[in-house]
Amino acid sequence: MNEPKKITVEQMLARAFAIEREAQARYADLADQMLVHNNQELAELFGKLAEIEGKHATKIKQRAAGAELPYISPLAYRWPGSEAPENVDISVAHYLMTPHHALKMALAGEQRAVDYFEDMAKVAADGAAKALAEEFVEEEREHVALVKAWLAKYPEPPAGWDEDDDPPMLQE
Amino acid sequence: MDATPMSEALTPRDYKSDIKPVWCPGCGDYSVLGSITTALAELQLPPEDVAVVSGIGCSSRIPAYANTYGFHGVHGRSLALGTGLKVARPELTVIVASGDGDGFSIGGNHFLHACRRNIDLTYIVMDNRVYGMTKGQPSPTTEPDWAESALAPGGTGLRPFHPLVIALASGASFVARAFSGDLLGTAALIAEAIQHEGFSFVEILSPCVTFRPDEREWRKQVHPSPVEPTDDPARAARRIMTDDGFNTGILFSGERSAYAPARPEGPVVEPAYFEAEFAV
Amino acid sequence: MTTSATERTSVVLAINGSGGAGAITAGSMLLKAAARAGLYGLLTRAVGPQIRGGEAVAILRLATAPVECAADRCDLQIAIDWMNADRFAAELNLGPESLVIGDAAAEEVPEAIAESGARIEALPIAELAKSVKGGRPNMVALGIAAAAIGLPAEALEAEIVETLSSKGEAAIEASKAALAAGMEAASGIDFAAKLTPPDKKEKRWIISGNEAAGLGAIRGGVRFVAAYPITPATEILEWMSPALVKAGGSLVQAEDELASINMIIGASYGGVPALTATSGPGLALMLESVGLAIASEVPVVIVDVMRGGPSTGIPTKSEQSDLNMALNGCHGDAPHIVVAPTSVADCLFTTQWAVHLAEAMQVPTIVLSDQFLGQAKAVIDRPADVAFIANRKVETAPAEGYRRYAITADGVSPMTVPGIAGGQYTADGLEHNPRGTPSTAAGDHASQLDKRADKLTKFDYGQHWAEIDGDGPLAVITWGSSTAPAREAIEIARAQGIDVKLVALRLLAPSRPDAFAEALKGVERALVVEQTHSGQFLRHLRAEYDLPGEITHLCRPGPLNFRAQDVLAAIKEAK
Repeated sequence: MNEPKKITVEQMLARAFAIEREAQARYADLADQMLVHNNQELAELFGKLAEIEGKHATKIKQRAAGAELPYISPLAYRWPGSEAPENVDISVAHYLMTPHHALKMALAGEQRAVDYFEDMAKVAADGAAKALAEEFVEEEREHVALVKAWLAKYPEPPAGWDEDDDPPMLQE
Repeated sequence: MDATPMSEALTPRDYKSDIKPVWCPGCGDYSVLGSITTALAELQLPPEDVAVVSGIGCSSRIPAYANTYGFHGVHGRSLALGTGLKVARPELTVIVASGDGDGFSIGGNHFLHACRRNIDLTYIVMDNRVYGMTKGQPSPTTEPDWAESALAPGGTGLRPFHPLVIALASGASFVARAFSGDLLGTAALIAEAIQHEGFSFVEILSPCVTFRPDEREWRKQVHPSPVEPTDDPARAARRIMTDDGFNTGILFSGERSAYAPARPEGPVVEPAYFEAEFAV
Repeated sequence: MTTSATERTSVVLAINGSGGAGAITAGSMLLKAAARAGLYGLLTRAVGPQIRGGEAVAILRLATAPVECAADRCDLQIAIDWMNADRFAAELNLGPESLVIGDAAAEEVPEAIAESGARIEALPIAELAKSVKGGRPNMVALGIAAAAIGLPAEALEAEIVETLSSKGEAAIEASKAALAAGMEAASGIDFAAKLTPPDKKEKRWIISGNEAAGLGAIRGGVRFVAAYPITPATEILEWMSPALVKAGGSLVQAEDELASINMIIGASYGGVPALTATSGPGLALMLESVGLAIASEVPVVIVDVMRGGPSTGIPTKSEQSDLNMALNGCHGDAPHIVVAPTSVADCLFTTQWAVHLAEAMQVPTIVLSDQFLGQAKAVIDRPADVAFIANRKVETAPAEGYRRYAITADGVSPMTVPGIAGGQYTADGLEHNPRGTPSTAAGDHASQLDKRADKLTKFDYGQHWAEIDGDGPLAVITWGSSTAPAREAIEIARAQGIDVKLVALRLLAPSRPDAFAEALKGVERALVVEQTHSGQFLRHLRAEYDLPGEITHLCRPGPLNFRAQDVLAAIKEAK
């Protein structure tokens, strides 16, 4: 991670925006995957998560109050984990997955975001930037709580949830 | 990185088409698509100046999912398609995408000669060590004892093909191994490969969650190469031959000049110029 | 030679030799000198199976008017030696009217040649060559040949200077002296043939069909070639490789024909008109990807210089037996274009036209040339300039929602090429919808199949679909290199009072049933001429067209091309 020693309010906003925008894109991808594989429930759930992240992104942009935020290149700026904190791992997706699995993925993402902004607060350039990072920490903690509550409605499915009664289909 | 204003930058999303992939959820190829679009955004290449060319197989579906120009050709011939396009239109960025069956079995000969020609294109092979589109037969990179296919009960008993070493022996000037589970790491390698002048080969370990669920374990096995890339092909080959197969990163980067077709010495001539040769 | 020589309109001379004797070089020099003197001609050659040092014969037909096929009989054979020369007996077709001049010191004349009944004379060819320091027997043979048809020494000397310029003054002088010795030696032999060049001296070319195809391609706009060497198509590539560089294009020597065809599809997808040249075995390998070009609607031109088949067959000899494969070799319903040149000179027009057709309709076009057309060198009048060039419908400013495979009135959808912003699409061999997205829907399959078929049938091919000449109750229907002997036979028949119509198809696919019916109006019988064993062309005609009731079939496989007398005999039988 090539983090500058002191990061400004603007940079903080840009990072927060990138996190939400990337998470939105990732959830949208997963929603598409589920739609293609006829898992309507999960398509809707991921769609909803994408929508939430999109709203977060918009909110952050409004915070910038018209100032042009710098573009956070996913490569030039290396996140502490393998990707932006709220990006859930697409490689664990399954076409028969249940809301329980999806929300567990989301919960992990929100928790990583908390950790990330806690780290950012330590390298803030000034009081305003520090206050902003702390505000994001608070917000992400709220998200963690929300997802936890949501997850409580979906207990872990019994083993065999991934069983498919049809054989795979030949394509090309 | 922070210099480009957000409103002007092309983001990975700008390189994705609106066609929804048909890959199984969990398939490594989703991440590879993400890596390619991320690399293109990193380089800020106009989508219309990029072409993604492929053959047949799960991985070869990738061109339609990118918002670049694309060509989904026949089985095994993607490198030839890409070579023709690049020679005819050298200013384009040409990415050839393939799988282990498409690229190393039916298309094996083109692989050798594309490396040898050292043409300036990027060859991405999504290696899942299985034929997915035809329901799980062993490919040239499948382990000899993988016995899950009805086509090869008890396993093939054959040594797997070693694409990275073969690329080196055939003259590829950039050789890298990546893991799809590391989307950004793979994107960084692809961006390097695109910028490399000459034939750049990126083998991406990309799990098939449907026919090779065991490959979900790759996540625990991969690790960055402990040594810096070398420009000595013999040393690189020795390393690759003796490593555990899960070393990721640039494994070889040489400076052999890329294939360049001959250019006219003087001004380009009109067809009438050639008549003198036949006139009596 | 003697003054008793009679005026002829066409004379056939052959010079043979082995072990690097230079028979082919002598033949080429003679052709050029004759052309400079105002004559027309055709040079073919036959060779043994060796790469170097083998036996070879140059067969020249020189004439006062353009000639496009082998003559019925060889008038004069000059044998530098007799090594394996019997191998060429069938090609030469010697008869009692022929004269054979052998080396006085050589062994006995081969049986196949002696049996022909030809008059055999001996001249001290080797000895005369030796009498000049650095003299070579092929130059003596050249002198004999020049004297036989009354070409002046100066014409040959100019040719010697040009051909041997790199070898130095001594070599030139030695050759001139050997030439003079040959001419002098020939004066004692009676040979009754003299050619008087026509007065009018239009601009003439010497060109092979393979070179003509290459030039036609470049005239048509081809700027990318990928190919794998194969006899007898390689000369197209050898000619085009440096020419393309000069014209701002390039040629890639591919690793195999599978690569060749895909490379040209890639280049053409990029907007650069592209071509490959091959022969039967190569076309067989390419066909899967020809289907790709059809489905993805990428224009490409494939020149198949046919040779004897199947398998490796007879690589150095001609046959028209790739017709079935070219027409019907693709899997699926795969409409494409197949054209065939009708003469050496027509290789230029037809290949240029092929580029135009391919580009206009965004479709692969196969040009069926053959070994005879490709490798024969002909003296021709400078071919007319034709306007056919690559003119692809390119969408340079695509609107939002651009659809690459949109259904249009003429079936041709404007195509974008990489670099055009907003025109991005994925070309696909999978069936697709108008946008190019893979589709298995019955409706998409039907409409795309319709579109790809319609664009070929709705196109205006003009008069070029066939060469039609003359009138009469009998029509000779033929194609490709069988056209020239048919044409010559028809001329002889007309001179004998037999009216015959010629219909030589240049466009073999798609079929033009209406135009064909119009061409055959009033025709009662047809003679179908083709160089195959199984009658591929007649089967094709029967499948696609209404033929007159009475059909005579002149059908013979390679390697020997038809001669006018073969067709004339069939015309008389069919009459």
